[in-house]
Amino acid sequence: MNRSTTLPSAPCAQPCRHPASPLWVVLAIAMSLPLSIGHGDIDYPKDIKPLFRIHCTPCHGALKQKSGLRLDTVALMIKGGKSGPALQRGDAGKSPLIARITTSDLNERMPPEHEGEPFSETEIRRVREWIQAGAPAPTDEQPEADPSEHWAFRPRTRPSPPMIRNPAWLLNPIDAFITREHQSHSLTHQPEAPRAILLRRLHLDLVGLPPTAAETAAAERDRSPDWYERTVDRLLEDPRHGERWARHWMDIWRYSDWWGLGDQLRNSQKHIWHWRDWIVESLNADLPYDEMIRQMLAADELYPNDLGKLRASGYLARNFFLFNRNQWLEETVEHVSKGFLGLTLNCAKCHDHKYDPFSQEDFYRMRAFFEPYHVRVEGLPGEPDLARDGIPRAYDGWPDNPTYRFVRGQENNPDKSSPVAPGIPSVLSFSPLTIQAVTLPDEAWEPERRPWVLVGHRAAAQSKIAPRAAALQNARAKLLGLQKLDAPTATNAIAEAQGELRLAELTLALAETEFTSVERRSESMRAAWARKGNRNPEITPSLAQAETNGSHAAIRAERDVALAKARHGLAAAELKRLQATADKKESVEKDFKKAQEALEKAQEKLATPFGPDEPYVRLPGALWTPTRFLDSTKDDPTVVFQPKSTGRRKALAEWITDARNPLTARVAVNHLWNRHLGSPLVATVFDFGRKSPPPIHRELIDWLASELIDSGWSLKHLHRLIVNSATYRMNSSVAGAELNLAKDPDNLRWWRRSPIRLEAQVVRDSMLSLAGILDLTRGGPSVASADQAASTRRSLYFYHSNNDRNLFLTTFDEANVKECYRREQTIVPQQALALSNSRLALDAAAQIASRLSQRDLPGARRPMDDTDFIHRAFEAVLGFTASNAEIAQCQLAMEAWRKPPEISDSAGTEDPARAHLIWALINHNDFVTLR
Amino acid sequence: MTNRIQPSLSDGCLSRRTFLADVGMGFTGLALGAMLQRNGLASTDAWSPPTGQPHRTPKAKNVIWLFMNGGISHMESFDPKPMLTKYAGKTIAETPFADVQNPKKLALERLVVPDANGNQRNTLFPLQVGFKRHGKSGIEVSDWFPHVARNVDRLAVVRSLWTTDSNHGAQTQFHSGRHQNDGDFPTLGAWVHYGLGSLNENLPQFISMGTREYWNKRDGHYLGPAHDAVPLRIDPSNPLDFGRAERPFSSDAQRIGMDLIQRLNGLRGVEYPHDPAIAARVASYELAFRMQQSVPGVVDFSKESEETKALYGLDQPHCRDFGMQLLAARRFVERGVRFIQIQHGGGGAGAWDAHGGLKKNHTTNALAVDQPIGGLLEDLDRRGLLDETLVIFATEFGRTPGTQGSDGRDHHIFGFTVWMAGGGLKRGVVHGATDEIGFHATENRHYVTDIHATILHQLGLDSRKLEIPGRKRLEIDHGKPILEIIA
Repeated sequence: MNRSTTLPSAPCAQPCRHPASPLWVVLAIAMSLPLSIGHGDIDYPKDIKPLFRIHCTPCHGALKQKSGLRLDTVALMIKGGKSGPALQRGDAGKSPLIARITTSDLNERMPPEHEGEPFSETEIRRVREWIQAGAPAPTDEQPEADPSEHWAFRPRTRPSPPMIRNPAWLLNPIDAFITREHQSHSLTHQPEAPRAILLRRLHLDLVGLPPTAAETAAAERDRSPDWYERTVDRLLEDPRHGERWARHWMDIWRYSDWWGLGDQLRNSQKHIWHWRDWIVESLNADLPYDEMIRQMLAADELYPNDLGKLRASGYLARNFFLFNRNQWLEETVEHVSKGFLGLTLNCAKCHDHKYDPFSQEDFYRMRAFFEPYHVRVEGLPGEPDLARDGIPRAYDGWPDNPTYRFVRGQENNPDKSSPVAPGIPSVLSFSPLTIQAVTLPDEAWEPERRPWVLVGHRAAAQSKIAPRAAALQNARAKLLGLQKLDAPTATNAIAEAQGELRLAELTLALAETEFTSVERRSESMRAAWARKGNRNPEITPSLAQAETNGSHAAIRAERDVALAKARHGLAAAELKRLQATADKKESVEKDFKKAQEALEKAQEKLATPFGPDEPYVRLPGALWTPTRFLDSTKDDPTVVFQPKSTGRRKALAEWITDARNPLTARVAVNHLWNRHLGSPLVATVFDFGRKSPPPIHRELIDWLASELIDSGWSLKHLHRLIVNSATYRMNSSVAGAELNLAKDPDNLRWWRRSPIRLEAQVVRDSMLSLAGILDLTRGGPSVASADQAASTRRSLYFYHSNNDRNLFLTTFDEANVKECYRREQTIVPQQALALSNSRLALDAAAQIASRLSQRDLPGARRPMDDTDFIHRAFEAVLGFTASNAEIAQCQLAMEAWRKPPEISDSAGTEDPARAHLIWALINHNDFVTLR
Repeated sequence: MTNRIQPSLSDGCLSRRTFLADVGMGFTGLALGAMLQRNGLASTDAWSPPTGQPHRTPKAKNVIWLFMNGGISHMESFDPKPMLTKYAGKTIAETPFADVQNPKKLALERLVVPDANGNQRNTLFPLQVGFKRHGKSGIEVSDWFPHVARNVDRLAVVRSLWTTDSNHGAQTQFHSGRHQNDGDFPTLGAWVHYGLGSLNENLPQFISMGTREYWNKRDGHYLGPAHDAVPLRIDPSNPLDFGRAERPFSSDAQRIGMDLIQRLNGLRGVEYPHDPAIAARVASYELAFRMQQSVPGVVDFSKESEETKALYGLDQPHCRDFGMQLLAARRFVERGVRFIQIQHGGGGAGAWDAHGGLKKNHTTNALAVDQPIGGLLEDLDRRGLLDETLVIFATEFGRTPGTQGSDGRDHHIFGFTVWMAGGGLKRGVVHGATDEIGFHATENRHYVTDIHATILHQLGLDSRKLEIPGRKRLEIDHGKPILEIIA
């Protein structure tokens, strides 16, 4: 069979990631039981209707009514469409529906080719049997609701917290919403967790590190009623808070250091860590969330000269992909939609969305916002070498590139009949979108005008002179020394030293010439700016003359550099010739000839007159990141900086952050809730569309979203609200709550706290912190893979890309850089191996043990015994008080460890048994668990 | 690994299903329960989370997946084309086979960058090696593979594969069935791992050896990292990441510690009853401890006879490395490891990527793999393991009939060869064919997922029943088993 044509036009080449709903899961469990399907016991809602939902209702339902036909209820099937009823009860043969799903004529078959998968034979058999049985269906079957009425697309309201009759437990309005659900389902809340657990919970949640012994002691001493709230305030102001929560947002926003093949950058950008630092700083400063989005999407249009804010557009720079623009932009559309808006617009790349009211055109409208953008690296004061540092950022480099809809999503099949303009799905529109081009200040599109750029190039060129002058002195001294020897055997050495001296002279000359070239070019560039900026016609001629003169001087200086380089090259080749062994003579001679020719060329060039538009290389203030869309072996033509930006991304950012946008705040509070409480209010964090199950706590979402917006989009306000709630403070145990467990085993109504498997970063950072060796240096370039074993920096700063991820962190479900809206929380044996065998864990165990042993007991009159140590170890490592049974087990183990004389183990620690005990506690379930 | 961690559905953490599947069996019975579950066959045709049981009676239990990174020339290995030599130096247009370049026939190609990799190589390049018929079946094999040729009556050679990515993204495509522009998808090994689990509870069930520097290093993707292959090294002192203490730690001391950990977790379970995470963690530590003890022994060959070691070429420097990996693979199969994936050839996009100097390149690479593969097939068969072990010899694409530069061949997606052996397949058969110059697969064409489907079929798995709700797979992702080569 030749299927060669079916793959490229596959109906959903882009994965349509419709997450399953809990309903589905429950259904799946039910369906896993043996089912007998025969006449008479067909369950339409369970067995038949889902088939129509998969194959038919995207086009014949509430979303669309092709041919006037709807198939979302049996009544509508019988009513039929333009060509009459689709179904005849009891007679499959006379039901056009059966004919259309079974025909082999592709022009007739439903669903049509490329628009969905055909019914399988089993499915057809079931539908047929169901029709034969009279197409039984519930009498109260409801048609699908109007898609625009979907809750998440409706304007947000600010619900009043419900009045609760017995409000003793309530600490803030969150608890009122939660309690209402408890009461209506006869659930009772679990009690507040013990103080030690709460303290560890707050610390790990808000700053990502366990409390220190001093912090624990202070909290235990603090008998004031507001110790908890004050702890929250303190931790939210702690600069480590920004680091902890930055990592969460970096998951959602797909932070990745660059990766490629070998040295070739293919994805993301060098120096992208500037964006990471911007995230950390912004969170610590409580920069409003809406402003964060605006800066990430459009800092270059909103703040074109503010380098600090331009760091934010690393969000877009990260999507750079060397080889394929479509893949780049499709990822951009997908993740802007999922991350900020909770929309799976990517499902509309090849066809209209199957669940939400988005056309295929909508996907490309969203793409059009990004069509002009490209990526460049912006120079920073003090570092003119952009390979060493610079800010990767977005800019509109292709203002006129058209966006075309790809027929069936195929990039080789663009519909060029009508370019697509930027726009948003109509169901989400609340006011007309205004896109206005932004005129950029000169420095933004001629970044070499930034005050530090020319200065920086000059300093860099100058700094090369002195060491070369010193090298020349050395070469001279060497020659003199040899000459003084006056030995006949030194002839060769002298010749060589003479060659070296010559080379050193020319190396210095080259540096000096290059410095002059930088000066001439700087002057020329300044002259050009002076002429351009001049509004006085009287001095125009003289400025123009100065510009021409400057330009000629610059060209001349560049030619001098070329000549100096050629001379230098020839001297180097000459020296090589002198040093070459017999077998290398031939190739060396060749190189020498080449160098001679190069010198001749440079000399000729010097004599030629200047062309009218002869360019010289302007000293760069920023460099575009070259792409290879056209040919994978050479860079595409340069994308120049434009004096205007299209304003498209600014308009998009304004729409996303408009208080009337129904999705942005709802999606954000759901992200926050998920990370504070272990699971989200809307289970499908990146899909708030119709496919996502209706959330139980819709009003709570809206209330939280309103709080976010009304507080000026303050994330810290939301953190404070959530962690101060009684809901957050509950115990995670289900002990004594068996009734609750039976009614709501998945804790969908938050009657207890759900334990959370700690993220990879927290696991590692906690060990280092307890060991007292965590390096709290903030910001800067990512720690390279090779340096990570020796580094004690926070894990957030480890190099993290698709190709390079830290092995220990990966074992604990490190974020996937391509998509990570929620972390996995697996429990696999490799984690046990990593925690029990890694040098990291073993070293930390020994260090923690020695640290805990050194600290005196308060008012101690006796040396610390094992029981004291065990107590301390539990409190420090696990955050709870050891029970007698636990202490007894630990003591038994410690005795066992001490029985055979331990010789080689844990060298350097005073008591191996104590180090072993800490090791065991690090491997305890609760060490990697946020209780 | 016994605790079957479910993939990411709507809920990333331990789902209700895991709770039901694992905790229902009680605190300590977790590992046992999952093992017992694997004794029967699944009984329902509705979707349900995998139980570790095959969907139908399996013909094969294990898979050894050999992958030649970079793209091996099909014409100079298992699909010889004398016409190339006959018409050498002529452009394709000048030969009777001009129609192979009919643009319609080239349309399936899907490039990442429309550049050099998609170029046609027009001048036919002669075969760089001779070939002969071998065995009773008389299947032609090139002279670069004498050891595999000796085993040709054990092979089912499929000469009619095609794929769509002309660049090395085809490596990933061969494993996941998807073009790299579509995103990341689970690989075949991950699906098998997800669907079947292990026959041995002391060893990882999905193992990767050799280099895979170019293509995506992960396998599980939306099935979750728990379904990634576990990378192993042939080094008895350190075969597994974190497989032994990285600081001196006597095994006695560690055992006392492990015992304490389990007891403390058990005590915690009193305060936090019905906590599925505690149960799962206890089980994961049990398995980790056993794994750590079992793995080094498997890659320790001291008990293998000299004859066996020589059979795999361990006494020869040019094929020793690959030979050790294959010998380890057999030892893993004996111990019931389900899926062993071995990638051959590092550097650039893979060692076989012979854009220039094909003769030298393929001579060297064939020397490195031929004897070990021949040895593996013989060794498996004489031990009675070949009947239940599928061996696959694959590569991401073939190479162009036309020459690149003066002495190389470019990437070629329109027709190439994969062979399979054992595991209930026919022996000594050829299925499918390319045209006379090896350009297009012409008879019984197969997309790469047909190889997946064939393997799953033999393992007794139905890929449609493994599908995750919400992760819609395409018809072509599932592929179709190549029934013609199934015994």
